Amino acid sequence: MKILAVCGMGFGSSLVLRMTIEDVLKAAGLKAQVVVSDIGTARSEQADIIVTSAEFARLLADRGIPIVVIKNYVDRKEMKEKLLPLVKGS
Amino acid sequence: MASSEAPFQLKDLLTPATIRLHVAASDPGQVIREAGQLLLASGAIEERYIEAMQQALQTYGPYMVIVPGVALLHARPSDGVKRPCISLLTLEPPVPFGNEDNDPVKIAIAFGAVDRQKHLQALTMLTQLLANEQALSAIQASTSAEEVMHIIAAASPA
Repeated sequence: MKILAVCGMGFGSSLVLRMTIEDVLKAAGLKAQVVVSDIGTARSEQADIIVTSAEFARLLADRGIPIVVIKNYVDRKEMKEKLLPLVKGS
Repeated sequence: MASSEAPFQLKDLLTPATIRLHVAASDPGQVIREAGQLLLASGAIEERYIEAMQQALQTYGPYMVIVPGVALLHARPSDGVKRPCISLLTLEPPVPFGNEDNDPVKIAIAFGAVDRQKHLQALTMLTQLLANEQALSAIQASTSAEEVMHIIAAASPA
């Protein structure tokens, strides 16, 4: 299982996103590889799930990979509710 | 561990000199200029980094408001970052960035990274701070940079 955390440049928001994803996975006792990416690389990088904001989700919709759209990058509750069903279901 | 290898703590990068409170900015461009000036004055970036942050906001849009009321502003290491750095502004009044979920911005944090690693420890502590609504409210109400440093130290124990 590979989760791609995507932001514009791959140096800020996506790193914050990765921390929130890893916290939620750890709390649920789940393991996955979490990789950060800028939006350009994300168009071709292999992944099972993409986690990003609504604007980038629109640019990645044609990839056919499940996308988790996050509003608050540090909200564990939001991440848990949106991400875990996809991790558990795969 | 050699000192050059030691990770930067948040308090190493965000200092009273890179904090400005109750800044009156008319738009996101002015917020970036003010936050960037603090980094420039600290000698951590070249002037072109400020323009690169403006470009990043235009190119990628207001997703940079990643938490309700907080914008995380930055560009790339290659845009003129000399060393890892962070600045923080509280905005009075709050400034809309065009993010329908998380506007308006009350706290703007700008940073410069040299790679994906050296600022990671500080960013981890910053993430803890951003998840702490009480601490964010206290920062908005702060009247001195020292007070902000105290709140951050209490919210993100090293």
